[in-house]
Amino acid sequence: MSTALAPSRAAPLAAPAGFLRMFSGFRVLLPFAALVVLWWTIKIAAGISDEVLVSPATAFAAFVRLVDTGVLAEYAGTSLRMIGACAVFSLAVGVPIGFAVGVNRYAARSCEGFLRFLQGVSGIAWLPLVIIWLGLSYKTTLAVVIYTLIVPIVFNTMIGVRTIPENYVLALRSLGAGRLRLATDVYLPGALPSIVVGLRLGMGYGWRALIAAEMLVHSGGLGDLIFSARTFNQIDRIIVGMIVIGCLYIIVDRLIVQPIENLTIARWGVLRK
Amino acid sequence: MSAVAPSASSARLRLDRVAWMLLPAAPFVAVLAAWAAYWQIVRPPAATLPSILAVVQVVGDIAGDGRLGANVLASLWRLLLGASLGILTGVVAGFATGLYRGISEFLSPLVIFFNAISGIVWLPLMIGWLGIGTALAVFVIWNTVFFIVFQNTVLGVQLVPEVLEQGVRALGAGRFETLRSVTLPGALPYILSGIRSGLGFGWRALIAAELVGAPSGLGQMIFAAGDYHRSDIIIAGCLIIGVIAIAMDRWILYPIEQRTVQRWGLITDAEKEGV
Repeated sequence: MSTALAPSRAAPLAAPAGFLRMFSGFRVLLPFAALVVLWWTIKIAAGISDEVLVSPATAFAAFVRLVDTGVLAEYAGTSLRMIGACAVFSLAVGVPIGFAVGVNRYAARSCEGFLRFLQGVSGIAWLPLVIIWLGLSYKTTLAVVIYTLIVPIVFNTMIGVRTIPENYVLALRSLGAGRLRLATDVYLPGALPSIVVGLRLGMGYGWRALIAAEMLVHSGGLGDLIFSARTFNQIDRIIVGMIVIGCLYIIVDRLIVQPIENLTIARWGVLRK
Repeated sequence: MSAVAPSASSARLRLDRVAWMLLPAAPFVAVLAAWAAYWQIVRPPAATLPSILAVVQVVGDIAGDGRLGANVLASLWRLLLGASLGILTGVVAGFATGLYRGISEFLSPLVIFFNAISGIVWLPLMIGWLGIGTALAVFVIWNTVFFIVFQNTVLGVQLVPEVLEQGVRALGAGRFETLRSVTLPGALPYILSGIRSGLGFGWRALIAAELVGAPSGLGQMIFAAGDYHRSDIIIAGCLIIGVIAIAMDRWILYPIEQRTVQRWGLITDAEKEGV
């Protein structure tokens, strides 16, 4: 028995890397295949009408149509550009603010409660007021998403700077380092893991705020796509939109946010959950 | 001279302490002052920016005629229903999954995907299935809370050192007893931090859901106020939403988490800071 087992165990190791990758890809896709089978079975067995739930085939046909006409690319492009612009802006503005607040313990003490409060009022709650101020345009969406993203980034940058042991700062200072040197050699590396935590949380909140704002502002984007489809009861479009939203978020998270996080942890070795 | 010096320095110390206590109020005061100054100088139309006094008055008005109470209760009731359902199902499913590595590996791609579309992304589909109302909001909250609690529970259960479980088993504990006395306390800090961040996302999702589709609730209150350009009601509503979010986190979730951490002492630094 053991002799029979041994070769079969060794086999995958000897197999080419391409096969292994195919196998792991299959493992990822298998649950989704099971879900589609379940979806199709329920659709047929319960005799649900297309008004309530379309079959996977109809949804796929809608996907092909949306891709063919270029509608999907345009709506997805709008959403991606929006979240990208907001993330870059929030990092560029939020991190320096977080540093400025974090280095001074009086400033940190005074801003902590305020930032917590801002985080409590979700960006989307300001939407009705921002619509009055900026109208039903992409500017409204931009303002709401930036608000949602920047608050956790400022907050976590500040926390990150506060948790750096003061001795590091004192040591560098006594060796004659200036403010700029302190920022690049102590504050930035020390606070980076915390900044990334803030970015990740902000992206989680921000992506959802973006979709919600697009639903209400109706000026393009995936949220607009699925919410307008609701008006015409196009279930196939809604489902395609939802799947695209999910996939895009996973891609953004895995391809951009997580590598930064891994890099930070690998380089500075501050492990966080 | 020597008698004066200590008293002067102690007076300064006391002043320092008072200033330290008052510091958190500073940004709020600054924002209010800027608001008041801007309003005095520019005199914007009430639809764009109301005066501070108007907002205070409108809080009194809507609190007085019962609108505020009814909307707050509607929102909190939905949050309670949706969050308890999400926590219950998340913890149970998380335990069932976390204990069997095969199942959790099979499910993990699905969980990652559905977590990415949790919450308001379901709104357009669910409006058709559930109609506009409490069921819709409860679904959205359940959906948001479930996946966060589920993922944290699975993680917590899997991170309980197996040697502890084996130790208790070797002393003759059954499967249930092992679960109760080792796995549950071991996973509890993770479950609680999952609940805490789940409620943060859930409260946001609720407000968004109420903006889009609900007959009542705080989100609906500010959305309807937007139609009539009543920015005083919108600002009042936003402030109340923020106060409720902070109160929940500070007085309910944070103390529970802290007590658990102190008792079982298993938590990372990132969570200690309340991130």
